[in-house]
Amino acid sequence: MLEHKDGQQKKEVKPPLLVIKNLSKSYIPGVLAVDDVNLTVNKGEIFALLGSSGCGKSTLLRMLAGFEKPTSGKIILDGQDLSNVPPYKRPVNMMFQSYALFPHMTVWNNIAFGLKQKHMPKDEIKENVEQMLALVHMEEFADRKPHQLSGGQRQRVALARSLATHPKLLLLDEPMGALDKKLRTKMQLELVDIIEKVGVTCIMVTHDQQEAMTMAERVAIMDCGEFLQVGDPEEIYENPNCRFTAEFIGSVNIFDGVLGENGSDFMYVECPALQNKIYIDAGAAIADGMKLSVAIRPEKITLSKEKPQQECNFEEGIVDNIAYMGDVSIYLIKLQSGQIVRTTLPNVDRFRKNQPTWDDKVFISWEPDSCIVLTI
Amino acid sequence: MKLKTSRLRRLHFRGSSCVIGAPYLWTILFFFIPFLIIFKISFADVSDTSQPPYSDLTSYEDNHVNIALNVGNYLDLFRCEDEEDCNVWKIDYDFLNFESVGLNIRDSLKGFFDAISTEFHVTIYIEAFWNSVKIAAVSTLICLLIGYPMAWSIAHSSQAMRSVLLMLVILPSWTSFLIRVYAWIGLLKPNGTINNVLMWFGIIHEPLNMMHTSFAVYIGVVYAYLPFMIMPLYTAISRVDNSLIEAAEDLGAKPFTILTKILLPLTSGGMIAGSMLVFIPAVGEYIIPELLGGPYNILIGQQLWIDFSNNHDWPKAAAIAVAMLLFLLVPIIWYFKQQKNEGVSK
Repeated sequence: MLEHKDGQQKKEVKPPLLVIKNLSKSYIPGVLAVDDVNLTVNKGEIFALLGSSGCGKSTLLRMLAGFEKPTSGKIILDGQDLSNVPPYKRPVNMMFQSYALFPHMTVWNNIAFGLKQKHMPKDEIKENVEQMLALVHMEEFADRKPHQLSGGQRQRVALARSLATHPKLLLLDEPMGALDKKLRTKMQLELVDIIEKVGVTCIMVTHDQQEAMTMAERVAIMDCGEFLQVGDPEEIYENPNCRFTAEFIGSVNIFDGVLGENGSDFMYVECPALQNKIYIDAGAAIADGMKLSVAIRPEKITLSKEKPQQECNFEEGIVDNIAYMGDVSIYLIKLQSGQIVRTTLPNVDRFRKNQPTWDDKVFISWEPDSCIVLTI
Repeated sequence: MKLKTSRLRRLHFRGSSCVIGAPYLWTILFFFIPFLIIFKISFADVSDTSQPPYSDLTSYEDNHVNIALNVGNYLDLFRCEDEEDCNVWKIDYDFLNFESVGLNIRDSLKGFFDAISTEFHVTIYIEAFWNSVKIAAVSTLICLLIGYPMAWSIAHSSQAMRSVLLMLVILPSWTSFLIRVYAWIGLLKPNGTINNVLMWFGIIHEPLNMMHTSFAVYIGVVYAYLPFMIMPLYTAISRVDNSLIEAAEDLGAKPFTILTKILLPLTSGGMIAGSMLVFIPAVGEYIIPELLGGPYNILIGQQLWIDFSNNHDWPKAAAIAVAMLLFLLVPIIWYFKQQKNEGVSK
C-alpha cells in the first residue's frame, strides 16, 4: 500500500462495486480450484490476490473476466449478475501477463481495438486513443508495432488498451511478471498512479508479496482455492492469522511451544527449542498446555554481544551465517538447540566495525509485543 | 587457448557450411542442371534422324560455329496460325443488357465491342494452361475452406488427440498416390460406390455421371492435396497465442471479428504456404486429370505429355515446361517475399 499524505481521506468508506458470493470452480469433479470464495471489493479500490502458483488466484481472475464458468456461486458487478454474460459483453477488461498485444497491429490500433468493437464514431475513437496514449506517455510510439517496444512500453500499451473502453473493473494478471526487477519497482508505482488517476476499480493477481504490498490497498492471501486472510498489507504483515500467512509474507522465525502460565493480559510460552520462556504481554482465550506457535519477524529481533538484562525473551547462540544485502545484513544465529534464527542488522556504519562476525557468541532478544501467537 | 578456440571456430564454420551446402548442391545437381538441359532442348528443332529426337543447337561448318536458336517453340504456344491447334473463345456480353432498368447500355456499347473482336483465338496450349490454373486455383480455395476448420480443431484438441488426428491426416500418404486416385474411380464411376448408395436410398434413380468430368478432377485434386494445406495451417494456428484470442474477446470482439481481425491476419503465413503447396503442384498435375478427367478440357500436364510422348516433339514439350516454370515463379517469388516480411515482423 502506498502511503499517501492524504491517507486519512483515502480511508473514507467507498461503496461496494464487486460482490463475489460463494464462488467455486472445479475442473475435475471433487477437486476445487476455487473453494467457496466470498469477497466484496469497493469502488476505486486496488485489490490483490496473493498466493503461490496453483492456489486458484488465476482461476478466480479468469472467472471474473468470463473465460471460465463458475461451478457455483455468483459474481455481481455494480448490481449486475455476470454469471452468464460472455466475456465480450462484460464491462471488465484484463491486462494479460504476456500483455497479449496484437502483433500485427500498431500501438494505435491495439488501443483502438476495444473502441472499434463498440462501434464508436471515428473522431471519438481518435480522441479516446490519444487521451490514452497521453495517459501512459506513449504518444511518440503510436505507429510502432509491439515487437518494436521494450517490455515496459509494452506494458503501458497493454494498460492503455484495457483502460480505453473505460471498464468498470480492471483485472491485472501478474502485471510485472514479464519485467526485470529494476523496472518492476518503477512500473509498480507508475501503474498505481495511472489506475488512481483513472479511478478504476482493480483486481490484481500476483505471487510477489512485495508487489501486492506496494500496489494494493487490500490483499487476500490464497491457498488451495481459499482465502486465508483478507486485509490491508500492514494488518497482514503484523497480524497474520495463521502460520501459512506468516510464512508466506516476509520472513519469520517460528517457535513451536506450549502455553504455560497465563492471565488476562499476559502469557508465557515454553518452547523446547529455547532455553528461556517467551513472555507475551497479551492474554489468550485458550486452554493451558495447548500447543501453539510464536512468530517473530527478523527485524524485530535485537542482536547484541552482551547478555540482555531481562529474564525472558532472549537466547544465546553463535553466528552461523551472514548475508550482506547492502542496506542490512542478515544474520543466521544457531541456538544451542540447533534451531536457526534469522535476524537483520542495519549497516549503519560503513565499515561494519563492532558487528558480530562468524562463530561469535551473541545474544538475541525481542520485545513482548513483537510476538505473534499462532494456533493454526 | 585463444588459438585453440579460433581453430575450433574455423572447423565449426567449415562443418556448418557443408551442412548448408548440401541442399545447394542438391538443387544444382537435380534441378538447375536438368532445367538447363530442358531449356536447351526448348530452342531445338524436331529431328526424326537423331536420337533423342531433337537437333543440336550448335553445328560446326567451314570453320564456323553456327548456333541456331529456334524461338518458334515458344511462339507456337501463343500464336494461332495452324487452325487445328486453335480454339475459339467467344465473349458473351449479353450480361450488359440493362433494358429492364430502362437503360440500354448494350446498344451504345455494341459498336465498341464489335470493333474489338469478341472472338479470341487461343492455342490449345493457352487453353490447357488456363484450365490448369482454374482447376488449381479453385481447388486451392476449396482446400483452404475445408482445411482451415480442420487445422483449427486439430490445434485446439487435447495433446493425445492431436497426434492421432495429425496421424490421420498423413496416413493416406502411406499408400501410393496412384492407388488412391484409382480408388476414386471405384467411388465415382456410374456403378461405383457413391451412385450405388444414392440409388439404394432412392435419392437418385439414374446413376450420376461423375467420372471423366471436371468435378471428378476437383475431387481428386482437393483430396490429394488437402494434407499439404492442413499441415502449414496447423503450424500457423497452433503458434497463435491463445491469450490473443482471449484478449480480443475481453475487449468486446465477437467470434466473427476475432476470426477476421485476429486469427486470419496472424495465420496468413500458413494460409499462403498451404496455398502454394497446393496450387503449384496442382497446376502441373498429370495423374489426376488423366485418370479422373474427361477427354475435353485437358490440362497443361497432359498436353505436355502428349507433345512429348505421342508427338515426339521434345522441343515443344520443353518449351511448355519452361513457360510453366516461368509462370509459377511469380507466386513463388511472392511467397518468399511474404515469408521475408513475416520474418521481419516477428
